[in-house]
Amino acid sequence: MVPITYYLLLAAALFCMGMFGVLVRTNALVVFMCVELMLNAVNLTFLAFARMHGNSVGHVSAFFVIAVAAAEAAIGLAIVIAVFRSRGSVNVDDIRTMKH
Amino acid sequence: MDGSLVEFFRTAPIPPEVFSPSLGLIILLPLLGAFVCGVFGKWLGRANVHLVACSAIAGAFVLSLLAFWATSDAAGGRVVSMVNPFGLERDTIRYAIAHDYGTWFAAGDFRVNFGLLVDHLSGILLLIITGVGFLIHLYSTSYMEHDDGYWRFFAYLNLFVAAMLTLVMADNLVLLFVGWEGVGMASYLLIGFWYTDSAKAWAGRKAFVTNRIGDFAFLIATFLLILTVGAFNRQADARDYNAAGSSRARYEQGISQRGPVTFKGLEKMALALPEGTGGAVSLATPIESGPLAGYTFGGVMTAALLLFLLGAAGKSAQLPLYVWLPDAMAGPTPVSALIHAATMVTAGVYLFCRMSSLLVLSPTAMATIAIVGALTSLLAALIAFAQDDIKKVLAYSTVSQLGIMFMGVGMGVFWAAAMHLMTHAFFKACLFLGAGSVMHGNGDETDIKKLGGLWKEMKWTHATFLISTLAITGIFPFMSGFFSKDAIFHGVHHNHLHGLEWVSTFVYVMGLLITASTAFYMSRVYLLTFTGKRSKEAKLAHAHESAWHMTLPLVILAFLAFVTFVYALPLMPRTGGGMQPVFENFLSPVLRPAEAVARAAETVHLDTSTPAVGDYFFAWLVALSGGAAAAFAYLKFFPSRVGQPVPAFARAVRRTAVNKFYVDELYEFIIIRPVKFTAFILFRVVDALVIDTVLVRGTAYVTEKVGLGLRRLQTGDAQAYAAIMALAILGGAVYALLQVLS
Amino acid sequence: MNIELVLFGVFAVMTLLSAGLVITARSPINSAMALVSTFFFLAGIYVLLWAHTVAVIQVLVYAGAIMVLFLFVIMLLNLGDAPHRGKPTVTRLLGGASAVGLLAVLGVTLGRMDAQPARLDAQAQAAFGTMAAIGQSIFTTWLLPFEAVSLLLLVAMVGAVVVAKSRI
Repeated sequence: MVPITYYLLLAAALFCMGMFGVLVRTNALVVFMCVELMLNAVNLTFLAFARMHGNSVGHVSAFFVIAVAAAEAAIGLAIVIAVFRSRGSVNVDDIRTMKH
Repeated sequence: MDGSLVEFFRTAPIPPEVFSPSLGLIILLPLLGAFVCGVFGKWLGRANVHLVACSAIAGAFVLSLLAFWATSDAAGGRVVSMVNPFGLERDTIRYAIAHDYGTWFAAGDFRVNFGLLVDHLSGILLLIITGVGFLIHLYSTSYMEHDDGYWRFFAYLNLFVAAMLTLVMADNLVLLFVGWEGVGMASYLLIGFWYTDSAKAWAGRKAFVTNRIGDFAFLIATFLLILTVGAFNRQADARDYNAAGSSRARYEQGISQRGPVTFKGLEKMALALPEGTGGAVSLATPIESGPLAGYTFGGVMTAALLLFLLGAAGKSAQLPLYVWLPDAMAGPTPVSALIHAATMVTAGVYLFCRMSSLLVLSPTAMATIAIVGALTSLLAALIAFAQDDIKKVLAYSTVSQLGIMFMGVGMGVFWAAAMHLMTHAFFKACLFLGAGSVMHGNGDETDIKKLGGLWKEMKWTHATFLISTLAITGIFPFMSGFFSKDAIFHGVHHNHLHGLEWVSTFVYVMGLLITASTAFYMSRVYLLTFTGKRSKEAKLAHAHESAWHMTLPLVILAFLAFVTFVYALPLMPRTGGGMQPVFENFLSPVLRPAEAVARAAETVHLDTSTPAVGDYFFAWLVALSGGAAAAFAYLKFFPSRVGQPVPAFARAVRRTAVNKFYVDELYEFIIIRPVKFTAFILFRVVDALVIDTVLVRGTAYVTEKVGLGLRRLQTGDAQAYAAIMALAILGGAVYALLQVLS
Repeated sequence: MNIELVLFGVFAVMTLLSAGLVITARSPINSAMALVSTFFFLAGIYVLLWAHTVAVIQVLVYAGAIMVLFLFVIMLLNLGDAPHRGKPTVTRLLGGASAVGLLAVLGVTLGRMDAQPARLDAQAQAAFGTMAAIGQSIFTTWLLPFEAVSLLLLVAMVGAVVVAKSRI
């Protein structure tokens, strides 16, 4: 039996790597991929705890997270396309519109 | 009198218990009129505004009549009476109807109800306010016919009537204060009605500010009474409650349901306070706990009553706060008649009559009231000698007459003060309206030296003015003013305040001087205005008589000023044998507790004798001497010396009197200058430096700088925001970990 | 040393390596491919957690649909290698440091924790993580959230079309 702690440590590592990527990378697409990494880390914790308690509600949560991730990817990529169309770049350094 | 007729008058058309829930309508109707005139008046047009305003007051008058009739209901020999909420079940209040509309506001165990009470005292005032008010509304429809602000005028006038009705119908001090402030506001609005003239606007402000001083005292006095009631309730024992015809359970129930400042509750406390009850609480008992701990009940009561005197002095234009009333003549003349002669200024007298049972507990307060009234009255009468403005003379005359009422109240002749209030409302309203009619017919001329000889041209105005002048002076004895004033002076002479016996003699002598002075200046006004030849300086060559809207009220008021003397005649049987004046008998249900308290506390000896024929004759001689002096001076002495210089002494007297005994200048020196200086310092230091520079500009400066600094944080870089979020998450996680580890 | 632990070790190491590649690769294409491999290895981890159904959905939806969408967008925008890695600004340094710090904190916290999987009887073990069990749960207890998610997907679909299309 593998201790659940290991799974949780793996999830923490995955989450922090995703977070690192979100905070450091400049390409908006890669930032999105890192967000997907973070979501997967969350899914992993859900499943780990589901296994730990022998309760399948965690699986349902993971299912919902995947659905939300799909929606988020669709909208996010559409925004990336729109931004690229108007600015010719997907570099987050070039998109500083969140002021005023 | 025919028995069936008596039965008719003793049976109210609407039974009291049916009518009492509708008491609020008496206030609501003028309020509605004010709303309609004020909001839709311009759109409705002149005639409709007249209709709405007058019919609102007429409706209120009819309702007041029904209410008054209901209070006198004695159908089948059973007198209308209500259970006193503060007394035992068997302890009923006769000749009164009341309705409690429930809690107005409550805070902790303090509560104020919207309760209305009509007894014979407030009933008579209801009739005066709505009756005289209606006549003055009618008069105003003609008087204000050329004014564009007519709708504003009638809205304010209706508002005033509503507030005044609230004042007299309130069954507790707080609701009375609402009316008190309401009439003050309406008065301010109407004095400054022609606000484009800055002098008139200032007169309104002067009235308002002067009244604020009095209102402040009124409020503090109310707070003192609330604390006193609380202390009384904690300390009283069964004998105290027994003396008041109550019990602890009933009294506490009354307080929890009606609040501590209802007049009936205060009356019960007054009944329990005299020494003779043998209870735990008397006037000399110190209050044990609370903010007033250490002071005696009697001391607090005296302080509260003196503060009420200051409040009443503001509203009723007594020393030292009378200065606003003469300036208040800047308002339209009907306003002067209604507010500054007939109703509002008598609010102080009404207040003391309403609280008569408390007042008789304190001879000090009573003596102060009487002396203040006497001094005010004489001072105002002397100032009136040399005023040439007809309205100013009448204004000072009002101050003087109010002083007489205060003398009556102060010496415990409450019924006579209330009666003088009523007769004064009639003849002074008539005089003011007559003055307005004179002004209306003479191109707004107010200087009596530039009038003269009007008796031929303004017959109705002249006749009514003459009757009213005779009524106020008492030169012709069978007039209301003669009897009501004489009733006051007789009572003043024969009542004695315990420990302050000299006051009654002093006030009585002052009263005689006032009577002579009143006769002098009123005769002067009448003679200069209506007799003799028309002045060469007159604005118009020929005066014209006013329309019927104006003369009809004059005639009615003059008639009332004449006939109401009947009330002072001793026609009713007294309970202890003998006869008593009609009005005293009429008000006895209201004033009986005060008499009981005075008897028990032995603070004031209330005389019940009626004046003999000799007393009347003496009073008549005094008045006649004043009138004769005026007649001699203005018919013989001055006309014969035309062209010659006026004697030096006359000029000196006149200069002092014209300058109103330099009272305004005294105020300027004692109060206004120091206040202005303080205000200047406050303006420079507090306003300009602290508020403007440090607080206002300083706040803006700091905000701006902080904002400029914070602006650097808003880079628009989403990643930077996310980095800050990450930092915050890290901080939270570290904190949680440290909490777990430690 | 049992086979489960060995498998976990292999999958975990591969997952972390792939994830590291995602955040370090210069080209978005390389990142995307590394992400696909991360998802596959994660699916293996899910199976070790007896979450077969979720593992299947992970492969179908994530590695299949979502990643294809990413690749499509990358191709559509014709993005090449990043010309530079981006300046190491203060906020980037702070953000990176806080991510590392969070990992340290979480590592310390989880290291103090001793969590073991639940011991299930044979019947429960047979039902755990099956499509039937999850479907039972979703369509009874979690029906309202399920419907809400379907609405969310509809909105996302419409929104994506509105945002991305230049002319509608």
